[in-house]
Amino acid sequence: MLLFRSEDHVDRWLAGRTPGATVPISKLAELADAWWGDRLDPAWEPHTREQNQQILDDLGLTGPFWRLG
Amino acid sequence: MDRPDIQLRNATYREFVALGRAPTAEEVATIVGTDPGEVRAGWRRLHEAHALVLDDAGEIRMVNPFSAVPTSHRVVAAGKGWYANCGWDAFGVGSALHVDSVIETECPDCHEPIRLVVRDGRPDDASLVFHVLVPAVTWWQDIGFT
Repeated sequence: MLLFRSEDHVDRWLAGRTPGATVPISKLAELADAWWGDRLDPAWEPHTREQNQQILDDLGLTGPFWRLG
Repeated sequence: MDRPDIQLRNATYREFVALGRAPTAEEVATIVGTDPGEVRAGWRRLHEAHALVLDDAGEIRMVNPFSAVPTSHRVVAAGKGWYANCGWDAFGVGSALHVDSVIETECPDCHEPIRLVVRDGRPDDASLVFHVLVPAVTWWQDIGFT
């Protein structure tokens, strides 16, 4: 889960390996807020897999690659 | 994850942020009013539940998104320096603390430094991209690699 200067840099780094998923940095920022925003809340409760899947779905991160189980 | 383990997890997270480093079992035991052996047993259950990550010695390795050990993802937020476990977690540090942040890492391809300011949840360089190599269903098979 790494940051790259551009998609061209991802392609070079992969060097023929099967790509995973590439996401714009603005989308990552939204994902981080939704995924991590409650981690220090005094009343934190564990996320269910369904809750985490909903976070991905809501951001359009759908399809087999983004299925948590 | 039962209520005492959630309380142990929350105390461990609070102490990590307060200290700016991983707390010891002894430090957390003092806070929650138990003994270090109970803390270590609880940490193991939390590790199994993916609520934090221990190293091979049973010490705190990750309280996600924070890393207890230096990584190539450095974050300055809330007046402290932190390490994150990956690019996603680097953004997560500011998200968890609810503050603006500065992320410093490098492009894995060209090794040029990357420095991002995240203000009000928005990065100041929208040209960058984030790559996830392995599918979501496998993320916890080897969380260090993921």
